[in-house]
Amino acid sequence: MTCEELIAYLSSYIDHEMDAALVAEVQEHIAHCRNCRVVLDTTQRLIVLVHDEGQRTIPAGQRRALFERLHRAFLNRPQTWDDSNAQASEGNTV
Amino acid sequence: MGLHLSHESRAMPGPTIDLTIYENEEALLTGLRRRDPDACACLIKRFAPLVYAQAMRLLGDADEAEGVLQQTFIKACDKLDTYEGRSGLGSWLYRIATNEALMHLRQRSPRVDLDDVAETIQTDEMPQRLTPWTFDPATAALNSELRTVLEQALASLPETLRVVFVLRDIQGLSAKETAAALGLGESAVKVRLHRARLRLRELLSAYMQEH
Ligand SMILES: [Zn+2]
Repeated sequence: MTCEELIAYLSSYIDHEMDAALVAEVQEHIAHCRNCRVVLDTTQRLIVLVHDEGQRTIPAGQRRALFERLHRAFLNRPQTWDDSNAQASEGNTV
Repeated sequence: MGLHLSHESRAMPGPTIDLTIYENEEALLTGLRRRDPDACACLIKRFAPLVYAQAMRLLGDADEAEGVLQQTFIKACDKLDTYEGRSGLGSWLYRIATNEALMHLRQRSPRVDLDDVAETIQTDEMPQRLTPWTFDPATAALNSELRTVLEQALASLPETLRVVFVLRDIQGLSAKETAAALGLGESAVKVRLHRARLRLRELLSAYMQEH
C-alpha cells in the first residue's frame, strides 16, 4: 500500500468500514511509515476534539439577550393547540 | 434521564425561577403541556445553548442561528403531543434544530463550487503538515484559544463539507442518517467527511505546530 492509498482509505479505517485484509495492509504500512502514522494519529485526535466541541454552548456575553428574546417569542407564539387538548393527550403520549 | 443542570445552564441569566420545581423530564413535560411559563423558561434555559451552538455551526451566521433557535422551541412546543420521550428532550430538540437549520441551508441560493462536491480527495487536500500534536483531547480540555481556532477552521470549510462534518463527527449521526438528512448518497457522505477531516487536520496542525 502506498502513502496515497493509505490517505485515501484513512477515514474508512478510522470508521471501521474496511475489510480485514485491507485493515492488515493499513496496519503494516503504519508500522513502517512515520508520516502516515502522524496523519492517522492527528486525524483521530481531531475527531475526539470536535466530538467534545458538540457540548459547546453559547458564549456567556450573548446569553442573556438571547434568552430573553427567545422566552418572549416562545410565550407570545400563536396558539396552535388549546389546553384541553393538551391535557387530554397527556395520558397516551408520555 | 433526570434534570441535572450543568454549570452552564445554571449560570444562564434570565427570569428567576426555581428549576427544581420539575423533578425530572416527565414533570417538565407535564408543565410544558400545561403551558406553564416556568416550564418554558426551564426548557429554554436547559437546552437553548446546545441548540444555538448546533445551528451556529451548521449555518455560520448568528442571525440565522437565532432564528433557528426560536423556530426550534416554538416547533417543539407545537409538537409536544407527538413527543414520545424515548430519546430524551435534549436529543429531540437537537434533531428539530438540525432539521430547521438544514431547511435554512436549502433555502439559500445555491452557489456550489464543483471542487466542493468532488468525489475524490483534491491534490491540495493531501496532508502537508506532518508534525505530531502534543495536545491530547482525551486528557486535556479545549481552551478558548483552541476553540476559536477550531470554530474558524470549521467556518472556513465549504458548506458542502462542513455540513457533513458537523452531522457526522460533531453530532454523531451515522453515514446513513447523514445521507438521509442531506438527500445524498452514503458514498458522497463518506467522501465529504474524509475531505473535511483532512482539511481540518491541516488547519489545526498549523496551530498545533506553533503551540
Ligand atoms: Zn505512508
